[in-house]
Amino acid sequence: MKPKRLDRQRRLTLLSLAGPNILFITAFCVLPLLVLFSYSFFQVDFVSIIREPSLENYLRIAKSETYRGLIIKALVYGVGIAFICSIIAYPLAFFIAKRVKVYKAALLTLLLIPLYTGDLIRIFAWRVVLGAEGVLNSLFMWLGIIQEPIWVLLFSPFATTIVLTYNYLPFMVLPLWAAVEALDDSYIEAAMDLGCRRIAVFFKVILPLSGAGLVAGFLMVFVLVVGDYLTPQLMGGSTGITVTSAIHDMFGAAFDWPTGSALAWLLLVSMTLFVILVSYLFYRSPWGRGIRRNS
Amino acid sequence: MVNKKSRNGASSVLLEARGLIKDYRSFRAVHGVGFDIPDNCFVTILGPSGCGKTTILRMIGGFESITEGSISLQGEQLMDVMPYERPVNTVFQNYALFPHLRVEDNVAFGLRLRKLNTGEIKRKVAEALETVQMQAMARRYPSQLSGGQQQRVALARAFINEPKLLLLDEPLGALDLKMRRHMQVELKDLQQRLAMSFLYVTHDQEEAFALSDIIIVMNEGRIEQVGTPEEIYHSPVNSYVADFIGGANLIVGSVSSVNEAKGRAHIETATASVEADCSPAVREGNTCCLCIRAEDFEAVADAAGDDDISLEARVIHVIFQGSAKLVEVEIGQQRLVAKLDHSVVTRVGESITLTVKKDRCRIVDGSPPGRKENE
Repeated sequence: MKPKRLDRQRRLTLLSLAGPNILFITAFCVLPLLVLFSYSFFQVDFVSIIREPSLENYLRIAKSETYRGLIIKALVYGVGIAFICSIIAYPLAFFIAKRVKVYKAALLTLLLIPLYTGDLIRIFAWRVVLGAEGVLNSLFMWLGIIQEPIWVLLFSPFATTIVLTYNYLPFMVLPLWAAVEALDDSYIEAAMDLGCRRIAVFFKVILPLSGAGLVAGFLMVFVLVVGDYLTPQLMGGSTGITVTSAIHDMFGAAFDWPTGSALAWLLLVSMTLFVILVSYLFYRSPWGRGIRRNS
Repeated sequence: MVNKKSRNGASSVLLEARGLIKDYRSFRAVHGVGFDIPDNCFVTILGPSGCGKTTILRMIGGFESITEGSISLQGEQLMDVMPYERPVNTVFQNYALFPHLRVEDNVAFGLRLRKLNTGEIKRKVAEALETVQMQAMARRYPSQLSGGQQQRVALARAFINEPKLLLLDEPLGALDLKMRRHMQVELKDLQQRLAMSFLYVTHDQEEAFALSDIIIVMNEGRIEQVGTPEEIYHSPVNSYVADFIGGANLIVGSVSSVNEAKGRAHIETATASVEADCSPAVREGNTCCLCIRAEDFEAVADAAGDDDISLEARVIHVIFQGSAKLVEVEIGQQRLVAKLDHSVVTRVGESITLTVKKDRCRIVDGSPPGRKENE
């Protein structure tokens, strides 16, 4: 049977809404990635690229402990920062969603303000705080807690962790806030009614029922942290080399596009695998029941 | 507030509420309310939305602080007891079943927190699910259940903890009429089998009548009347209760004499002069109402004897109600509603003679409240 006019109209509307986006993403995201993919099989000879496909690049990266270490380091940072963010973000999200009534919008805006300032400005602001002659060291010395500045405050994994956490915290707070906001108070009351103390209420009811928000925030922070090479470079000092900065160098100074492409693709694949794994585990778990309907 | 002692002489008082006040900033939701809940008794707080009935339930459950007053359960003050320490459980209006847990885990929730051993939990859960006839659904998730089934699981989850008092916050509100009727019977039956006190909150008077041993009628944060369903219906204490319960006809008049010993008074209204039983607060000179139930009217061909009040009125509306018809009539400015048999001929615009036996009338305190939409 021919589709009814109403159905045709509806399909047309959907297509006209989604079409331009699909075209845009294909042209400016999928196609370049495919170009990158083809480059990852080529070789470089001083200044020219030899277009003879081989698995050489991938094998070299797989054999190299440095590259493997960089990819693992990126993933570990991503998971670690996302975890720290979730610990800080939960109380914050709960507070904004359940305790604040009038100033909700104001607090959320306040949370987002750092994002309006540039990456570099935020990073340099932290250098002012953490530096050898920075705010913290001066304060500690003035208080007499320390005699000499603590050098490790800046240019260390510690500094990188702090700034990454600070940078990406809003991306965890927002989805968590939305999830907790949608969580009906009566679930919390029912849990208390049945004998849960505050901590138990969190682990037995709030955490499982805001799981979708947690996973969304977790994956968002994870992806952003893995992709961030400015912060580790500017805050981490000698420890600041990341897989993304390595890729950056390959395409820039080193002029080794094929290896850069292969590295980029390996990173992309491992990130995608991780995201799929987390999503799948969440979906299968009882926590995922919030987003699964009638199965 | 006056407290009625329990009808049932043998049962003792389970919960005592005294002078309960709840303020939300400048708004006072509950104005000094006091009542008793006896053991093994189905008590209903009945009132329109916003009358403070849910607030009282939440104060007993521990989800709202008490601004002033006291609640004691078997002589123990509940004031500073946290909700998780109170020997009461709540069935929430929206059931609040945990969507991430199976039916059996929802029901076992309270027992697991009390660290009972696994075997005992299993046995009790099976028992509770059997009580509400949900054994077959034990492995399902709440989202796979119908409203009535969720309701039963919510009940099982609450009473499995053997609370001293079960609080129910309009638990049938979300169900359709047929399911509601069915669950009413089940609830009453369940209360008697468990021999547990239920405190039930509703705005539905029919439901309150069907279920309760004692009804507490509330309005604007105050208790209007406490009594059995029969007392509330047949002997309302004031015009508010008379109007809210069953929407009685209220004819304003002035009381010319009161015989307090006999509990009778004489009232002069625009349409009749009647001596009848009166509520205790009726005083000479007060604004009072003659209260006549719609079903007490009868249509007759000619004016009746001395024991009857007879009224000649014009028919305005006729509403078909299945078993009978509601006839709205007008006498001067006064509008009345009579529930008549289908055999009575009523035509809109024509006159009809209605009679009512004088001993079916009652004189109540207060002027008729502005007629609100009855649900």
